[in-house]
Amino acid sequence: MISKNTISLNSTIWYLMNEIQEERFSIKQFKQRLEDNKISMAFQGILSQDILTLVGQSLRNLPNNQVLAKRLFGLAVEMTQNIHHYSAQKIYSDKDGRDIGMGIVCIGQDEDFHLITSGNYIYEKDAKVVKERSRYINSLSDEELKQYYREQRRAPQRKDKPGANLGFIEMRRKSGNPVYVEVIDVNEEMSFFILSVKISKEHNQNNINN
Amino acid sequence: MENFHIEGSTYIPRVDFNAETGVLEIEGESYHEYTMEFFKPIFDWLDEFLVESGLTITLNFKMSYFNTSSSRRFLEILTMLEDYSKEKSGNVTVNWYYEAHDVDMQESGEEYSDDVDLPFNLIPVE
Repeated sequence: MISKNTISLNSTIWYLMNEIQEERFSIKQFKQRLEDNKISMAFQGILSQDILTLVGQSLRNLPNNQVLAKRLFGLAVEMTQNIHHYSAQKIYSDKDGRDIGMGIVCIGQDEDFHLITSGNYIYEKDAKVVKERSRYINSLSDEELKQYYREQRRAPQRKDKPGANLGFIEMRRKSGNPVYVEVIDVNEEMSFFILSVKISKEHNQNNINN
Repeated sequence: MENFHIEGSTYIPRVDFNAETGVLEIEGESYHEYTMEFFKPIFDWLDEFLVESGLTITLNFKMSYFNTSSSRRFLEILTMLEDYSKEKSGNVTVNWYYEAHDVDMQESGEEYSDDVDLPFNLIPVE
């Protein structure tokens, strides 16, 4: 039975929720902020195979430039699979029958380049590793990257890690740019890990003409 | 020995291994999140297939995209075939097909051909 009290209580909650939403989070403003920053796509949540496939496929539709589209797609694959496997924030997925990493991925573009950026929590112990690894990989020349990639691909699979340990090298090689890594301290256990890669439209256009 | 078949999908390749003809074909895209699990039956089949010495084997590689994790698995397959050709007098040829405009897949093929000691044909497809 719905009493008069329940109704008035419900409408009070509704009113409060609206107020809170208006004050703390407006989806309209959020959309505007994404647009102001030229973000064309943003996804937050679990990076399951299904999501990755959808996000990835939508990047394949760049007109007249299949090589660039596939490189951008490849960057998204490596980035989202990093989150899938190594995010410190995981949720069990019934469909996949295992824990899957959560994070955020945004894709944007400027006149000259596409940008893909991702964020996820990582354990403190991994923070130093990713910082050092990205610094090292950014310091290598194209030829050195190629050799390092082949050397790492031959190295034995790391224990308890499903990835190939080639993601950063691949991103460097496919984008032709450094990988930007930022680690923000959160607490003693966790940090927030931001990974961004730019890929030039012109440079990749030239590649096709060559 | 039974032939081996995996129906391809968006993120897994079509795999057709023919035990009678020795033609092994992999085609499509590969970006499964767990390549060790996906490739396990492929390695198991190859292990059994490569017991007999002196076979003539053709690997037709017709991939258009694969992630770094699959790239590792492909090197493992090529290394198995390289060992087979050396240790069991196998006659192995690799045909690496790639779309003619696709500089990345061409480069991938070139790198694998440097990494393993096998006859390696890079074949652009228009």
